[in-house]
Amino acid sequence: MRHVLVLALALSWLCLAAPAAGSAQEGHPLKGSWLGTWAGNSTHGADIVVVLDWDGKAITGMINPGTDNIAIENARLDPDGWVVHFEAAARDKSGGALRYVIDGKIENLHLPTRAIVGTWKSQKQGGEFRIARQ
Amino acid sequence: MKACRSRLLAPTLAGLLLAVASPSAHHEILAKFDEAKPMTLSGVVTHVDWRNPHAHVFVTVRDREGRAVSWAVELDSPIDLQQNGWTGDTLRPGDAVTVAGIAARDGSRQIWRRSLVLTATGREVLTVAPRMPPPLLAARPVPRWPDGQPRLGSMPGADGYWAYPTRTALVEAGVAAEMTPHGLLTNIADAPKVAPMQPWARALYTERQRRFLRDDPTYLHCKPPGGPRQFQQPYGVQFIEDRDRRRVFVLIGGGNNNFRLIYTDGRPHVGQVGGDDDNPLYYGRSVARWDGDTLVADTQGFNEDFWFTNGGLPHTDRLRLMERLTRVDLDTLRYDVTIDDPGAYTRPWSSAWTLRWVAGEDMPRHLCQDNRP
Repeated sequence: MRHVLVLALALSWLCLAAPAAGSAQEGHPLKGSWLGTWAGNSTHGADIVVVLDWDGKAITGMINPGTDNIAIENARLDPDGWVVHFEAAARDKSGGALRYVIDGKIENLHLPTRAIVGTWKSQKQGGEFRIARQ
Repeated sequence: MKACRSRLLAPTLAGLLLAVASPSAHHEILAKFDEAKPMTLSGVVTHVDWRNPHAHVFVTVRDREGRAVSWAVELDSPIDLQQNGWTGDTLRPGDAVTVAGIAARDGSRQIWRRSLVLTATGREVLTVAPRMPPPLLAARPVPRWPDGQPRLGSMPGADGYWAYPTRTALVEAGVAAEMTPHGLLTNIADAPKVAPMQPWARALYTERQRRFLRDDPTYLHCKPPGGPRQFQQPYGVQFIEDRDRRRVFVLIGGGNNNFRLIYTDGRPHVGQVGGDDDNPLYYGRSVARWDGDTLVADTQGFNEDFWFTNGGLPHTDRLRLMERLTRVDLDTLRYDVTIDDPGAYTRPWSSAWTLRWVAGEDMPRHLCQDNRP
């Protein structure tokens, strides 16, 4: 019984540690790979992966690389309040143009697993947006 | 993962509570303790925890209702305490003491010592003099190799290392900004003056300062003190010149006692083994040449997983350092650095300081893996 308890404790710590095991990112706060949801998105699904980069002048990136490959446009970070904005041009299931607009704020800036929390919207839908850096 | 969590919820919560009860260790005392919370307590020593980075004395104090309450008194590092005559036996369980200091910001029962007096004798037992370099009597000539090149390290058979940097945080040359030895600004309004930061970098630096540097990954996660920070460590650096293989090892007295390599073999600025330009490093990749008596190192290929300065100035993977190391005389090393990081700064900028030779000693052993509250 004791061994089971010890094992359970060890596994529980692994469960806790795993989400925090992502590499630190102490440079530009948006740079990195982000995983989360844009709730209610029936076109591209509720799950989202966002990859963001910073070259010293502009924020660039991709939504759902490898599957949807939606290029990010007009990305901005306002350090006063850590307000994030970016857009993306995509296609709906019938091939029609779809423009996504994401607005949010960085939460837990000091953590490697910081999050961008806000809203997403397109011409057809909208909802809550939350991604966390991995 | 969900199943794992639900089955093990109880032990997980227990572990979480433990984690929450254990604040992170930090070398900037004001990250953890509040100068605006002075306090004095009297009690009986129950335990002395003689460990890096800071020793702790546990004291049982009677509260107003007469209940026994435990307090943790945080002291200096065992290295500094030993240099001032302390040992792990200077205080013993059962000793009655009075401690004056400042309380923890989070309200936990922790106090950073300002004085510690043995009640029985009234004697102050905590006297830690600031670390000072040995007096310099006269400029001694630069030690040299047989070919006349300056030695960056020790003479054969002798110990020694470089310490006591005249600047302990990176600030642009010519800028006056008062700060603690760990780079915490006395006046947060000075933040924009420290370096020519881009808006996001200035905001991030200011945020780190507002949080009293408590998020410093060097202390939280034992990240190496790459970049200029390696020459501003409290326990110094040491050079080992491997002339056969034409490279210089820089042994780091802080962090986790790791090392940096500076290649002097004329190799191009590519990766270390067959090229690893897509593998950014904590110390970057350094190639160097001698310019007279100065070793000029060109370093790039840094990752973004650490703070490259005490005080939390940000950098990006576009950081490139030009460092000039000049042994001015036997006891003085001048360090000049130009920071070129178009990802975080609006222009290249420079800083410089000197370090003192500590003769006859090896670097103090301090491993950041020992960090704990």
